[in-house]
Amino acid sequence: MRRRLRTRLALLYGGVFFATGTMLLALVFAAFWSGGYTQVAPVGQEGHAVAPDPAAPRGVDVAAVVLPSLVGLLGTGAVAALLGWVIGGRALRPLRAMTATAQAISADSLHSRIGLDSPYQEFAELGATLDDLFGRLDAAFRSQRDFVANASHELRTPLTVERALLQVALADPDADAGTLRAACAEVLALGAAQERLIDALLTLAGSDQGLDRRQPLDLAGIVAGAVEARRDDAARRGVRIGADLAAASADGDPHLVESLVANLLDNAIRHNVPGGRVDVVTTGTGVALRNTGAVIPPGDVDRLFEPFQRLRRGRAGRPEGHGLGLAIVRAIAAAHGATVTARAPASGGLDVEVVFPAPVVGRTG
Amino acid sequence: MRVLVVEDHEVLARTLGTGLRREGLAVDVVLDGGDALDRVAVTRYDVVVLDRDVPGVHGDEVCRRLAAGRSTTRVLMLTAAGTVRDRVAGLDLGADDYLAKPFDFAELVARVRALGRRAGVPVPPVLECGDLTLDPGRRTAFRGGRPLALTPKELAVLECLLARGGAVVSAEELLERVWDESANPFTHTVKTTIGRLRAKLGEPSPIETVREGGYRVAVP
Repeated sequence: MRRRLRTRLALLYGGVFFATGTMLLALVFAAFWSGGYTQVAPVGQEGHAVAPDPAAPRGVDVAAVVLPSLVGLLGTGAVAALLGWVIGGRALRPLRAMTATAQAISADSLHSRIGLDSPYQEFAELGATLDDLFGRLDAAFRSQRDFVANASHELRTPLTVERALLQVALADPDADAGTLRAACAEVLALGAAQERLIDALLTLAGSDQGLDRRQPLDLAGIVAGAVEARRDDAARRGVRIGADLAAASADGDPHLVESLVANLLDNAIRHNVPGGRVDVVTTGTGVALRNTGAVIPPGDVDRLFEPFQRLRRGRAGRPEGHGLGLAIVRAIAAAHGATVTARAPASGGLDVEVVFPAPVVGRTG
Repeated sequence: MRVLVVEDHEVLARTLGTGLRREGLAVDVVLDGGDALDRVAVTRYDVVVLDRDVPGVHGDEVCRRLAAGRSTTRVLMLTAAGTVRDRVAGLDLGADDYLAKPFDFAELVARVRALGRRAGVPVPPVLECGDLTLDPGRRTAFRGGRPLALTPKELAVLECLLARGGAVVSAEELLERVWDESANPFTHTVKTTIGRLRAKLGEPSPIETVREGGYRVAVP
């Protein structure tokens, strides 16, 4: 069992007082015995001073001095211990208040703070540090909660639509093969969208857990492959892709880096305008994309890298995607120690640059 | 019964519109909150089926404004967030009912009907007047125990008249209650429908025409 600090303090006070008191008394008694004092000689009846007798106990009766001294010492020692107990309790009161507040704060009430107003620097610092910690935890919990709420919303919506589609189609007494077939086709399309969402969520969760492996990667090659795979999709949307791919390399997980590049490109192609452009450049250890598109207010650029954030939702229902692409880019970049910089030109569209740390040279494997 | 569906997912909005219309309700569909407020200002809806996360004006705000307007319109809130806290928050905003996604379409219809009965003067689930009986939930009508083969519009017109219990309902109001904006109807549509309804109900006709006023059911 752990000892209480207050008890320790009380015992320490009492103990120190007792020890110093004992030392003091010992000094006094030592002085008695060593003769280093002037004895008032008993005055003889003849008026002569009587010479001190070395054999006789010097001075006063020892027991008469020592006993009251010991009793006094014990008494004051006890009083000191008691005072130590009281003072320790007072000094530690802010600590107890902090403990009580911290105990009351749970995952549901992380917004409350200790808010300690102590005149003592140590306690004030401790309180502020704990409040800081709670603040960070609160923010982390809140973003986690938002993420779960958003994910469940995104996952439930297609389920709702699928169920409503099928139930309405089945409840139609005049349903024929055509209407039922149309309903089935819509359910299948919704299922495919759900599959993409789940893939994106899994990629995001996987990249948040850090890297399992790192290997030297040909960044330019990965980008070239991803660009080729998207030429048709881009052409269908009337978007031209220009690629200027100088040799570029990075260390990382090949699947995650491919996913990063794919999400960057998809984002640039989807959120574009007909007749628009996507320009991809690789150099050194980085990849940079520039795409035309709607004007993004500069204040919204950071927000777009948060999960489930979209620039806006159009009048004609949901836009493509779930707002996870750039969040995945950011998470994968963070896992690789890469920096992501994004800028929204006033003319519209988005510039994104991802720079990986320089590969470790001369390493094997 | 006139219903407004506010839902931003196009496929879901269309499906709900189709399904509710098939249940004999007059349904308008909008995809965002701003449009919803525009419609509500023009048409008196019995029930608004409101997705909480619509773009434009947020569903919460639409709900708040509807409640603040002291309208008789009932609000059924739909949302993917179905925790107790969300439901309580939604009801506190002024929603009359709350349905979490994903839901059963049959339940949605039943709740819309239940709310519709309480929009304005409350009416019983099965309407009766003399020897006429109409069950809006089963969408069946009987006269003297004999089932009537009515089209959805005829049934809805009869329901509207029976719900007033003998009070006069104008042709314009019937138009608003029974036909949605996709039908693009005129008042003579009401006249034709009433004519066909009278023919199916048989003699003596339980529907009276009030000159310069509209129609009402004859209360025995």
